[in-house]
Amino acid sequence: MKSIEEQIWEYIDGELSGKEREAVAKKIADDNAYATVYVEMLELHKLMAAVELDEPSMSFTRNIMDQVNLEMAPMALKTKVDKRIIYSLTAIFLAAIVGVSWFTIAYTHFPALPLPSLSLPSLSLPSFDYNINIEEFVSPLTLQIFFFIDILLALLYLDRLYRSKKA
Amino acid sequence: MQQQTDQALITAVLEGNSSAYAELVNRHKRFVFTMAMKFAKNREDAEEIAQDCFVKAYRSLATFKNTSKFSTWLYTITYTTAMSFLRKKRIATYSIDDEENHLQLENSISSYQANDVEKKSKYVYLNLAISQLLPDDAAIITLFYQSEQSLDEIGQVLNMESNTVKVKLHRARLRLKEKLEYLLKDEVKELL
Repeated sequence: MKSIEEQIWEYIDGELSGKEREAVAKKIADDNAYATVYVEMLELHKLMAAVELDEPSMSFTRNIMDQVNLEMAPMALKTKVDKRIIYSLTAIFLAAIVGVSWFTIAYTHFPALPLPSLSLPSLSLPSFDYNINIEEFVSPLTLQIFFFIDILLALLYLDRLYRSKKA
Repeated sequence: MQQQTDQALITAVLEGNSSAYAELVNRHKRFVFTMAMKFAKNREDAEEIAQDCFVKAYRSLATFKNTSKFSTWLYTITYTTAMSFLRKKRIATYSIDDEENHLQLENSISSYQANDVEKKSKYVYLNLAISQLLPDDAAIITLFYQSEQSLDEIGQVLNMESNTVKVKLHRARLRLKEKLEYLLKDEVKELL
C-alpha cells in the first residue's frame, strides 16, 4: 500500500496510468489530508524545478581547453589496415586451401568406385628424411628456457592487464 | 545560426577539431559544476572535479557509442569522479541528528541570516537544505529536476534500476522536506 506522499508524488510526476490518476485526483478533491499534502508537494516540486544551476568561474572553459590541448587528440575507432592487404591475404589462403584440396583429391585412390579415369599431371614430391632425432633438440636445458620465457610472458601480460584495470 | 547537435560536435572533435570541444564544455559546464557542488560543498573543489570530468570525457570521447545522450554519458563520468573525490578526501557525511551537524547547520543559518536579501529568498533555503542532504540524495534530486533526464537515464548515471531511482527520489524528496522544515521551522508553512 502506497503512502499518501508516494501517491501524490507519482501524480505530480505524471507517472500514473489513466485510472490511477483519476482516483488520486478524486482523493485530492474530496479528502482534506490529500489536498494538504498535494499543495505542499506541488509547491516544493515547483520550487525545485525553478532552482538555477550554479555557474563556474569565468576561466573554467579556458582551463579545460588548456588541459585538453596537452592531451593526445581522441580519434574515432576505425580500422586503419589497408583493404588491399586483407584481400591479398585472403587470396593467398584461398589458393593454399584450393591447392591442398586439389592435391588431396588427386592423390587419393577410390578403388571401389567405378569412376572414369582421370588423367592428372604426374607430380613428384620432394623426398624428406623424416628420421629426425628430437632428443638432439629437446634437452632439459631447452625445456627450462622454453618454460622460463613462457612464465616471463605470462607475468608481463598479467602486469599489463592489472595496470590497465587500475587506470 | 542553427546550433550544432552534441553528436556533430563530437564528430568534429574526433576529426581533429579540438576547439569544438569548447562548445561542448560551454553547453554542459553549469550542470556538471552544479553536480560537483553537491559532493564537494566548496567552489574550488567543485571546479576541480568538474574540470577533471571534462578532461576524462575528452580522453574517452572515441569510446562514446551514441547509444545514450552525451549528457547522460557525461553525468555518469561526473558522478563516478565526484564519488572518487569523496572517497579520496574522506569527507564525512552526517545525519541531521548528529550533534556536529546541528552546529554546522546553525552556522550556515546564521551566515545566511546575515544577509537580509538572501534571508527572504526561498531558493537560498532550498539550496541550503539540498546541501545538507547526503550526496546521493542531492545528486538524484539535481539530476531529476535540473538535468532533464528521465528516471531510466538517471538509473544509467547512478548505475541503478529505474525503480530503485524512483524509490530513492521519493525518499530524497521527503528528507528534503524534513530539512526545510527544520531550517525554516514556522516559516516552512509560508514557503510551501
